[in-house]
Amino acid sequence: MKWNLLIAFLILSLVSCDQRPIAKAVAIDQNGLQQALVADNEKIKVINFWATWCAPCVEELPYFEKIGASYKNQVEVILISLDDAKNITSEVQPFLENNQIRSQVLLLDDPYAAEWIPIVDQHWDGAIPVTLIISKDKKQFYNKALTYKELEDAINEFL
Amino acid sequence: MKTLKILVILLIGGLAISFFSGMLEGKERNNLFAERPAPYKEKKNASAAREISTIKGYDIGDTATDFSLKNTDGSTTSLKDFKDAKGFVIIFTCNHCPYSVAYEDRIIAIDQKYKNVGYPVIAINPNNPKEYPTDSFEAMKVRAKEKGFTFPYLLDAGQKIYPQYGATKTPHVFLLQKEGKNPIVKYIGAIDDKYQDANEVKNTYLENALQALLSGEPIKQTRSTAIGCRIK
Repeated sequence: MKWNLLIAFLILSLVSCDQRPIAKAVAIDQNGLQQALVADNEKIKVINFWATWCAPCVEELPYFEKIGASYKNQVEVILISLDDAKNITSEVQPFLENNQIRSQVLLLDDPYAAEWIPIVDQHWDGAIPVTLIISKDKKQFYNKALTYKELEDAINEFL
Repeated sequence: MKTLKILVILLIGGLAISFFSGMLEGKERNNLFAERPAPYKEKKNASAAREISTIKGYDIGDTATDFSLKNTDGSTTSLKDFKDAKGFVIIFTCNHCPYSVAYEDRIIAIDQKYKNVGYPVIAINPNNPKEYPTDSFEAMKVRAKEKGFTFPYLLDAGQKIYPQYGATKTPHVFLLQKEGKNPIVKYIGAIDDKYQDANEVKNTYLENALQALLSGEPIKQTRSTAIGCRIK
């Protein structure tokens, strides 16, 4: 009887929850950004620019988490924080833990935004949040906050 | 006997696991081989997305609209009130955004330097206070007083003005110069290129543009981009 319970539990835990560990924020420079923007052969990259103090950004983070978990074999979610690099351990990391963020989190430590904004997309005016979806043969830029449905529809255009 | 029972249970468990993960696999595979959208549909989607990303607003050379907005000092401010001005430094900014806050001292300095030569700063908070409570008119009054703003700090109540200008974020600058009575857009974009530290700025875009206007030379860079907080 004990064994049955144990096995049932094992199966449940295997099937149900998001098992990815809580993200660890990693600081990157412009080169790191360039690498993050390179298309992957296997997966669709969903890249979101955000910051802990940006309310509309924080509002849409759960949608990216959900996409990352439910499309984990097809989609790689990268959350690029534009928080001040000196707050990485005092604010960004605690935020990730409190909000159970499990997608990859990079912190772009380069204040000269005018130099890298055009690298991300020539149409970007610098407002956040903003989202970029990249596959090996397609790129789409969303200069706005997204609802879950908009995000899922956008991903489905790539699948 | 007991060993046999355990073995049987393990076998069933193993089967169940492979069954479940098989189900998952199947589902994923379905998605992987989902029909690709037909080309015409792709094109349609792409143009729809592009529409989202381009926001209408002023271009360089356009005539900017006047407005009549509530100022934190209790008055109402319009461009036509500034009879002697040669132009205006319109800055969409707000209380809540760290980029805006980082630029407060620099905005005051620009106002003090250029107001006397005909280009006063006019700050407009474009946000809906329901979206950002710290951007309420009351909070604006407090901030204007705390920082000793030397320029009007207006609320775009009803959010009618910022979409006409095409402001998308805070801070977002529109430098205007009067030609006859019409205020013409001469520069759109950022104040400078480093929000964290005024001493490490490489390009003072707004001041360069102001200097060019004052000396009657063409502005070398009429647009610039910087990170800002999306207006909501």
